[in-house]
Amino acid sequence: MSLRVLNPNAEVLNKSAALHMTINAAKGLQDVLKTNLGPKGTIKMLVGGAGDIKLTKDGNTLLKEMQIQNPTAIMIARTAVAQDDASGDGTTSTVLFIGELMKQSERYIDEGMHPRVLVDGFDIAKRAILEFIEKFKTHVTVGETPDAEILKMVARTTLRTKLYESLADQLTDIVVNAVLCVRKPDEPIDLFMVEIMHMRHKFDVDTRLVEGLVLDHGSRHPDMKRRVENCHILTCNVSLEYEKSEVNAGFFYSNAEQREKMVAAERRQVDDRVRKIIELKNKVCSGNDNNFVVINQKGIDPPSLDLLARAGIVALRRAKRRNMERLVLACGGEAVNSVDDLTPDCLGWAGLVYEHVLGEEKYTFVENVKNPHSCTILIKGPNDHTIAQIKDAVRDGLRSVKNTIEDEAVILGAGAFEVAASQHLVNNVKKTVQGRAQLGVQAFADALLVVPKTLAENSGLDTQDVIIALTGEHDKGFIVGLNQHTGDPIDPLMEGIFDNYSVKRQIINSGPVIASQLLLVDEVIRAGRNMRKPS
Amino acid sequence: MGFQMQPYGIQSMLKEGHKHLSGLDEAVLKNIDACKQLSQITRTSLGPNGMNKMVINHLDKLFVTNDAATIVNELEVQHPAAKICVLAGKAQQEEIGDGANLTISFAGELLQNAEELIRMGLHPSEIIRGYSKGITKTIEILDELVEQGSDTMDVRNKNEVVSRMKSAVASKQFGQEDILCPLIADACIQVCPKNPTNFNVDNVRVAKLLGGGLHNCSIIRGMVLKNDAVGSIKKMEKAKIAVFAGGVDTSATETKGTVLIHNAEQLENYAKTEEAKVEELIKAVADSGAKVIVSGGAVGEMALHFCERYKLMVLKISSKFELRRFCRTTGAVALLKLSQPNPDELGYADSVSVQEVGGVRVTIVKNEEGGNSVSTVVLRGSTDSILDDLERAVDDGVNTYKAMCRDSRIVPGAAATEIELARRLKEFSFKETGLDQYAIAKFAESFEMVPKTLAENAGLNAIEIISSLYAEHAAGNTKVGIDLEEGICKDMSTMNIWDLYVTKYFALKYAADAACTVLRVDQIIMAKPAGGPKRDQPAGMDED
Repeated sequence: MSLRVLNPNAEVLNKSAALHMTINAAKGLQDVLKTNLGPKGTIKMLVGGAGDIKLTKDGNTLLKEMQIQNPTAIMIARTAVAQDDASGDGTTSTVLFIGELMKQSERYIDEGMHPRVLVDGFDIAKRAILEFIEKFKTHVTVGETPDAEILKMVARTTLRTKLYESLADQLTDIVVNAVLCVRKPDEPIDLFMVEIMHMRHKFDVDTRLVEGLVLDHGSRHPDMKRRVENCHILTCNVSLEYEKSEVNAGFFYSNAEQREKMVAAERRQVDDRVRKIIELKNKVCSGNDNNFVVINQKGIDPPSLDLLARAGIVALRRAKRRNMERLVLACGGEAVNSVDDLTPDCLGWAGLVYEHVLGEEKYTFVENVKNPHSCTILIKGPNDHTIAQIKDAVRDGLRSVKNTIEDEAVILGAGAFEVAASQHLVNNVKKTVQGRAQLGVQAFADALLVVPKTLAENSGLDTQDVIIALTGEHDKGFIVGLNQHTGDPIDPLMEGIFDNYSVKRQIINSGPVIASQLLLVDEVIRAGRNMRKPS
Repeated sequence: MGFQMQPYGIQSMLKEGHKHLSGLDEAVLKNIDACKQLSQITRTSLGPNGMNKMVINHLDKLFVTNDAATIVNELEVQHPAAKICVLAGKAQQEEIGDGANLTISFAGELLQNAEELIRMGLHPSEIIRGYSKGITKTIEILDELVEQGSDTMDVRNKNEVVSRMKSAVASKQFGQEDILCPLIADACIQVCPKNPTNFNVDNVRVAKLLGGGLHNCSIIRGMVLKNDAVGSIKKMEKAKIAVFAGGVDTSATETKGTVLIHNAEQLENYAKTEEAKVEELIKAVADSGAKVIVSGGAVGEMALHFCERYKLMVLKISSKFELRRFCRTTGAVALLKLSQPNPDELGYADSVSVQEVGGVRVTIVKNEEGGNSVSTVVLRGSTDSILDDLERAVDDGVNTYKAMCRDSRIVPGAAATEIELARRLKEFSFKETGLDQYAIAKFAESFEMVPKTLAENAGLNAIEIISSLYAEHAAGNTKVGIDLEEGICKDMSTMNIWDLYVTKYFALKYAADAACTVLRVDQIIMAKPAGGPKRDQPAGMDED
């Protein structure tokens, strides 16, 4: 072979061997993720190098943690991860769809068809489906106040595929309310404004939405109050600790008297800043029983803490940067960077600030805020893997709600879309295509059915029966999905099973692209020293 | 190895060293097996007659204990599924501080029964459904079993506290609960704040002093510091106390300072001004009325000298937390710098004295009217491991007190509750249709593990005991449990053995959660274990 002449160490796979390797890898990956799909998917346990446990049903997490090495599998996995980045859901479906496209193509290629022709068919089919999806989608009106019901349905559909049912249903409300809380009309939704905080405590069903903020640290002074009501909140980014000067400075003194003065002078600057805050506190809090809370992004050293504590101020230091932004959104006021021009207008307000101690960890809750634009989802669970699982699910749930609001559309779920699209290809599109590209369209149509098939398989149902039943109903003009419990066709509209429009669109868009690329590979070359392992 | 011969399937796609297990036989049953093994280890330690385990951890430290939390902690369980059970036990330990053994053993029993169901042909998802129904129903029944009128209790009433604490302590130190319980109860009641829900476990300290015996154990209203006083003054009565967090020494600047000396005269003067400054400070402290100085940092030689001169006792507490506790005990406010304290910043103690106990010098700070501050249980014992074990018993007792402060409801102990739950749940399972009824029935059966193990550990005939328990319960005597000393079934309300409702509630729930989690897993992907020195297989994982 020509390459061997150029580099005797290189490994080459060509023609059908290369193709089969890629197809096998795609099918292998599909096999791994297959059992994940849908509410009845099973859980995988990932054990890390250090013996840490992770439980997941989420395709994205699985692909990230699995450390895949096969080049084809990596390509598919990357597409799936891109899917997750773009829309937050549908990773498993993407992998399944690509795998199935490859599998269907294999049949035709083994019969002697050229991959190029299939790829042409894929392209036609893809364009047709993208047109079809526009007609098929269900429009959602998002006005000033979006319809919470439909958002809940979408969120529920997503969450139920990640967690068990009762927990998913509980999280649904939390997720929808969180997104509606941070949503501002005419502005893109910034999901970073939803803080996700976790506490290892109690049970997974104790997860709740906090309208306000939860910070994972507490005040560092024993005399500060643990619970204060009616609080003015000063959000600031001012260093309240002595900082060494940049230049290499030193003091010279010749008696203790002088040194004492030096010590005092050194502190004066910091003390002045603290005093300004205390002045403000006295201004707003005199004559009423309001309290004052300082949340500082920079440090507060013990002497300053001491001064603040004596003035009855609760102070938190070293808050996270992102939390400063959220605090302002949640409590109102503004984040100040200097204490020179403090006015009561800079202050936010919270009805209740309290500290919760769990073993060594301290948490500060800022609650009962007025008109919040930021909130916290407080995840609880008895152990780390439960928390991680919920966290992944919440993230996906938030994304699905956001997608719905931005898309202003949803797609009927439970496999209904896939069956309808497949039928559309076979009945309408295929006939308009000339020549062998028809087979590509056929393969595409068959591949789409992988979603309902896998759903049925995971529920322990007979796949063929289910597909026949579903296509039969579609032929009659009813749009139906699969009932996971019984295997009968159901109307997803009635059951409230909706998927994201953008997720489906992304799958249809990216799946065929990657499958085409893989099909058109006819040589795999491995060369170069670091690629090779000592055998 | 060329990639021509790449095998098909997932194995080829993972990095070398990965293990992939899937399916019923490989994943589910193996997981169950691992959890079973684990629960067999802890099970023999359940209850008052439980056996002790000798665990030697990787640091060659020896533990002799029957506290499940300690055992599983030191075992360093590697198997992922068994680890889930361990985590459930730990969660229980963190939440309540007691009942970890019940959690792990019960989870193991649930999984063992699940295995039988799987062999019968049930799918894990059906078992999970059954178990979830089972635990929901169990909690319902448990609610009904709560002893009437126990939801309100006076947490300051020693007898009530002792009766609730007894079973928890007895399971760790059987036969000694009558000595320990009143001590723990006293210590807890003393520091219980006005609002009992704010009870802080941290306020009950344990001081372990080698020597003496259990009968020498006592409680001290105040603290026991395990070090000597710094100066020569070793005793102070009715003393006001000044606390300095930053150390008792000359003050220093943050920026590096240099003493500028031009001639010999200045050198002499410098030392003098320094001295004068320190004296001034110490004098100021002494003038404020303080008789004891407590330092959180270093105590300078010169400062110490002046303290001696002004007859001030000096203590050094280097731990920040210990210092904070000390402040709580005495009511002092910790000052950052050495300066004159205000009268309201001074603390007070009835007596501060250095005593020699068992060859160790300890400083005892007593405060009779301290109110809800800190109390210390002084434990005496002949060996370190006995002391450690006593400490764990005390910890369990204190945690139980905390739990009862939040929720004082109680259920009959000594397996009476478990049998009743088993009986009622079984009845419930008969009413269910569908495959999950088998799972619910097995869930009910799992409760028998508790009386069985209790009886077995006490050397009694388990089958006989269980059948007579069932007979009694069927006759309506729902509070009948096992009297382990006499080996017969008795009404627990007359024996006064109660378990806290919350302990049971969390233990059962965590156990059911863990069991369901293990059952839900059908694939395990294990990464290559990270590098690091290889350890021997921890002792105890072998078949015993």
